Amino acid sequence: MTNRENFISMMRRKGYEHVPVEFVLCPHQQKVCREQLGAEDYEAYFGMPWRRVEDLRLKDHDVEKYRKYYQKPLADGADIDLWGVGHEKSPNSMHMTYMRHPMEHMMTVEEMKDYPFPDYASADDSHQAKQVENIKEQDLIALGDMQMTIWECAWYMRSMENLFCDMVTEDGMAEFLLDKVTELSMIRALSYARAGVDVLFLGDDIGMQRTIMMSEELYCTWIKPRLKKIIDEVKKVNPQLLIFYHSCGFVEPLIPHLIEAGIDVLNPIQSECMDFERIYKKYGDRISFHGTIGTQTVMPKGTPQEVKEAVWRNLDIAGEQGGLFVAPTHMVEPEVPFENILAYVEACRTYAGKTGCKK
Amino acid sequence: MTILQEISECLQKGKVKQIKALVQQALDGGEDPKAILNEGLLEGMSVIGGRFKREEIFVPDVLISARTMSMGLSVLEPKLVEVGNKAVGKIVLGTVKGDLHDIGKNLVAMMFKGAGFEVYDLGVDVDAKTFLEKAEEVGADIIGMSALLSTTMPAMKELVDLLEEKGLRDKYTVMIGGAPITDEFAKEIGADYYTPDAASAAEIGKTCVLEKSV
Repeated sequence: MTNRENFISMMRRKGYEHVPVEFVLCPHQQKVCREQLGAEDYEAYFGMPWRRVEDLRLKDHDVEKYRKYYQKPLADGADIDLWGVGHEKSPNSMHMTYMRHPMEHMMTVEEMKDYPFPDYASADDSHQAKQVENIKEQDLIALGDMQMTIWECAWYMRSMENLFCDMVTEDGMAEFLLDKVTELSMIRALSYARAGVDVLFLGDDIGMQRTIMMSEELYCTWIKPRLKKIIDEVKKVNPQLLIFYHSCGFVEPLIPHLIEAGIDVLNPIQSECMDFERIYKKYGDRISFHGTIGTQTVMPKGTPQEVKEAVWRNLDIAGEQGGLFVAPTHMVEPEVPFENILAYVEACRTYAGKTGCKK
Repeated sequence: MTILQEISECLQKGKVKQIKALVQQALDGGEDPKAILNEGLLEGMSVIGGRFKREEIFVPDVLISARTMSMGLSVLEPKLVEVGNKAVGKIVLGTVKGDLHDIGKNLVAMMFKGAGFEVYDLGVDVDAKTFLEKAEEVGADIIGMSALLSTTMPAMKELVDLLEEKGLRDKYTVMIGGAPITDEFAKEIGADYYTPDAASAAEIGKTCVLEKSV
């Protein structure tokens, strides 16, 4: 099998020949990678199966226009993203930022309507098809990464507390904002699909460490129909498109809803929050999984051998048909020993199936 | 239903727009401000906390009830000052140094307010020294620390060590929480309590303070 065939067959639970590796390194770990391995491009160095295709390019989108929306001015050196969300830095927090919400103080739908949302309808898509072609020529999977698709995108602009209160009080503000974000995400998603990506990675955090973030009822009223609408439309463009979906934490009660919305692969199945074996037994005939190696536990605190055993155990659970793209559940943060990253890679490369020997 | 029960119900249902009028009505009717607080607003929050802990309701419901409580308190607080109402206890809380996540911490602050505490929220990226200084300044009973990242968990130990070093360890109850935190970790660093959710945190916090005062 080529890399592309292997990946697609594995994600469709039709068997696989080799176990691909995938992880995202924080800037500190990228530095370690360069110093210890001379790896400038760690995705290429470790032979990851996919590459990201760039999002639509917005025209004349000067984010300075969002600054006036902050009643309390943004801290010096803060970045403003394409949606107007402020990211304040701290010398103590490395790559993490403190998020500020430009729509936090809005009181009416009218104020929301006046907000200068990024104009994706007139954005430039000319680079996307070329990038997809180039990626596929290298026998790689073309990935459209647009996590924080609806709910998170809206919450970042409005603040979680306000958006939840808008949803509960049903005063029209949540409806407007979620519809607007869905409309813009739809444009981005369709553009990725038309450009020919193999995987579209959607996501919105709807789980916390031990419970779901909102009731099933609230989820099904506000988020699920909008997610389904996007997935339905992109699958009309390409029925073979694989929809990955990310939510942190415990989301077990919401998995049937995500399946109904049309997702193909669920990420990241945090081992600290959900038992992969149980989830796989229950839903493994309908969806596949990506992740499962805990970045709160075994990656930072385990031994290299424990990391390997976690990888092998989960691959064993999925079995010969596949259905698991095994990977660390989240970005690999600075406290993860570098040998544990290498142990994860080695475990993937040496896995020889349930009955095979583990070298 | 008495007016105090009505206030509790109103808060549980998160009727933000009605609570002010209801609290005012109770005050006009001659109810004791302390009773409005304890048997109305705080009683309502206690029910909400219990339901949240049992996973019958979720974060949005708690947020809207907490918001309702704040609205009610805005009417009630001047009267509480007049009658010299004393808070159940005082907590200084924040997210530890290097960590900028605050959704969980804010929820804990709301639940402590809902349990009748005076809450001093230091925000995010708070170092051990700042926690201690504020606790000393306001005469806190509890110091609460939050962390979302395994990267920043070790910063929690710095406060416990600092308290030891200054000979103040027994003066404060140290409570910790956040996604990657466990009971084991609390024991390992010498914190007093880890709680898995905001409602349990406020409940344990209240028990501690009441036991201390006996």
